[in-house]
Amino acid sequence: MKKIIIGLVLILAIGLFTGCSSDTQATDIEVDQYTIGITQFGEHASLDNCREGFIAGLAEEGFIEGENLTIIYENAQFDNGISNQIAQSFVSKKVDLIGAIATPVAQSSFNAAKDKDIPVVFTAVTDPVAAMLTEGNVTGTSDKLPVEAQLKLIRAMLPQAKNIGILYTTSEVNSLSTIEEYKALAGNYGFEIVDMGVSATADVPLAVDRILPQVDAMTNLTDNTVVGSLPVILEKANAKGVPVFGSEIEQVKLGCIASEGIEYVELGKQTGRMAAQILSGEKTADEIAYEIIEKSSLYINSHVMEEFNLSLAQEYMDRAMDVAE
Amino acid sequence: MLELRKIYKTFNKGTKHESELFHDFNLKVEKNDFISVIGNNGSGKTSLINIICGSLEIDSGQVILDNEDITNKKDFQRYSKIGRVYQEPSVGTCTDMTVLENMSLADNKGKSYNLTRGIRKNRIEFYKDRLRDLDLDLENKLNVRVGELSGGQRQAMALLMATMTPIEYLILDEHTAALDPKVADIIMKLTEKIVKEKKLTTIMVTHNINYALEYGNRLLMMNQGEIILDEKDEKKNKITAGEILSIY
Amino acid sequence: MDIFIGILEQGMIYAILALGLYITYRILNFPDLTVDGSFPLGAAVTAYLMTNTGDLVATISLGHNPYIICLYALMAGAIAGLVTGIIHVKFNIRDLISGIITMTGLYSINLRIAGSANVPIFNLDTIFSNSTMDMIFPESLLRYKVIIIATIITIATKIILDLYLKTKSGFLLRAVGNNEILVTTLAKDNGNIKILGLVIGNGIVALSGSILMQQQGFFEITMGTGAMVLGLASVIIGINVFKKIKFVKATTSVIFGSIIYKAAMSAAMDIRFARASDMKLITAILFLLILIFSEGKKKKVKVDA
Repeated sequence: MKKIIIGLVLILAIGLFTGCSSDTQATDIEVDQYTIGITQFGEHASLDNCREGFIAGLAEEGFIEGENLTIIYENAQFDNGISNQIAQSFVSKKVDLIGAIATPVAQSSFNAAKDKDIPVVFTAVTDPVAAMLTEGNVTGTSDKLPVEAQLKLIRAMLPQAKNIGILYTTSEVNSLSTIEEYKALAGNYGFEIVDMGVSATADVPLAVDRILPQVDAMTNLTDNTVVGSLPVILEKANAKGVPVFGSEIEQVKLGCIASEGIEYVELGKQTGRMAAQILSGEKTADEIAYEIIEKSSLYINSHVMEEFNLSLAQEYMDRAMDVAE
Repeated sequence: MLELRKIYKTFNKGTKHESELFHDFNLKVEKNDFISVIGNNGSGKTSLINIICGSLEIDSGQVILDNEDITNKKDFQRYSKIGRVYQEPSVGTCTDMTVLENMSLADNKGKSYNLTRGIRKNRIEFYKDRLRDLDLDLENKLNVRVGELSGGQRQAMALLMATMTPIEYLILDEHTAALDPKVADIIMKLTEKIVKEKKLTTIMVTHNINYALEYGNRLLMMNQGEIILDEKDEKKNKITAGEILSIY
Repeated sequence: MDIFIGILEQGMIYAILALGLYITYRILNFPDLTVDGSFPLGAAVTAYLMTNTGDLVATISLGHNPYIICLYALMAGAIAGLVTGIIHVKFNIRDLISGIITMTGLYSINLRIAGSANVPIFNLDTIFSNSTMDMIFPESLLRYKVIIIATIITIATKIILDLYLKTKSGFLLRAVGNNEILVTTLAKDNGNIKILGLVIGNGIVALSGSILMQQQGFFEITMGTGAMVLGLASVIIGINVFKKIKFVKATTSVIFGSIIYKAAMSAAMDIRFARASDMKLITAILFLLILIFSEGKKKKVKVDA
């Protein structure tokens, strides 16, 4: 028993010491050193791309990791509690800026940093207004999906299709707002949206079985759970002859037929450049309004298109990037 | 008066192991009876008590307590008039609570367990007096966790607690069986004293033939769900241990 | 220093969760999974009452008063506990399963109440930031505002709990968790008392969910996941660390348990070879170690009639 008490006191002490020692900043006399914390909600291809782009964007503007920039990277493993602790850890380490990838970590970071003079730059937040991340020492980029472009694409490839199916996770707030947008615009292209919500990965197979008979095509959001289950969805959809349209390049590589998507690395770079402006003192976070990417990028998977015996008009093919090459 | 009328009870009904224990079983317990119930295992003496207390359901028949048919009353409802001491000393007390807390808990039986103080300061002397009677030094151990007491001390407390508030019937379920002979004797003497003081109608199930003969005014012997011996007062006093054993 | 304050903040707020679990798990001996649902329920109710602009809400919350809203959160948790209790007692469903049923249903209910999976309240009045608090706390004390308020609430909850456990009703609750048979012979219905315990425990848990949500600035539907494990760990760590030190009451040790647990998690984050993703594994190992070394758990009395 004594051992446990000693052990726990040790842990407590370590916790305090590491906390205290991080309070001091290493200052280099020659070059201005910057330390930033990057917090990512979970491991996920799109979010990873964002991070890559973010670091690249900073490098483009002269903030290079290892030279004048130290990056502390933490991953919240999709856990709300860890997200909060990471935010507090960054704040107590007095980082110069926090880069937050995805809504929950953005909110945790903003909340922890708001009275502390640490700017927060987010990316992959679909609706910054709903997330209340527009006022204050915070800015960033939104990965709002190019819904209209996607609808156009689907119509171009499937002239006769009527119903489009969308699977989403009920716990992802971004999904609902995107679905609303789909429903609002679908009519303009002669489509009807059939949506089905799941609450966990385990629910996906059954939900797919139920939705497939009702639709002519499927389209994805950037929903973590659904995208994580993409192989299952593709297998079932292909068996039933239903093409699945993705929302970004990684999904098309996995087997989705095509996507008018956001280039997440580009989005990250855009965010990195915004962060650079803040670090250099050019602007403050509340002076920069959040941005979205206007242009969508068209990705196609020609193998899948062949299997479905579908084709696209030349004007599309000209600007398309074929992942099958 | 407590009465069991035409009790039928079959165990494991409808299965291979179906066995009928009580077949038209009847028993009348008069006020102030102190009945010792003996019998070998499976004779039904424990089932008898459980039927009275409501923890064993019957197939048909009635349980009448003071002219009230309580056959359909839940067990906890019946215990407002009944006190019970079990064989295991831990079952009669809250081992995680102190002596004083246990006494206070039992003292409140029959009244509301509301948001007033659990321990009534003006009752502490009363508890000390009762504990002093036990002669086990418990009056000086008020703040000791009951779990840390000896088996005998716990059972003595269980007896005190079961009889602290006004009840009419006392059920003793082999309550000395798990104790050392010396302690068992103490408990039995204490039992007799309390039963006399509070004029409790008592049913005591026991394996100890000597106790059965020495205490109480009535002797009941059971076998396979039937009463094979039922003697009261003088007739009971005349019975010897040898006679009992021969029937066994 | 900031890290220390951060640990204390989180430790204190989650200590309320631990206090609620202390009632159900330790006193009532009831493993209650409702908590994973009632914790975010408190937050969902808070989110709804804070963000809804309707007249009715404004009236019943006395103008979006965060303190009144906390009370509503508590009541909501109490109702959740009531549901679990009724399922367990009246329908005779096992304790663990009853909690799971309520928790599962609460996922959908919480989503409905909050309105969305993520509801931010950054600029709204909370128990931590409102005009009264701004008046009380001068510039110099701002750093400590949250920790002071949280500590006051936690200690107040602890004291109220301690007082309750000294009442006749509290005694009976403790008796039910220790010896149901005795309670029956005291002519009391075990079932009703268990329900009461679940009501109290989950009310407190929901209160902690509301307070955490106000501190973190937003409601997130997943915030309940793992709440039970977290609270349980705090209770068990607290009880075991202070087992030999008699003058520290159980309720106090539970609060310390929560702080120790958060400190351990914070330290885990700074271990060079561990990443944030290893936290769950470290939690599990720590928890297991404590459980292995905990001796003589409270024994429940069972006798075959």
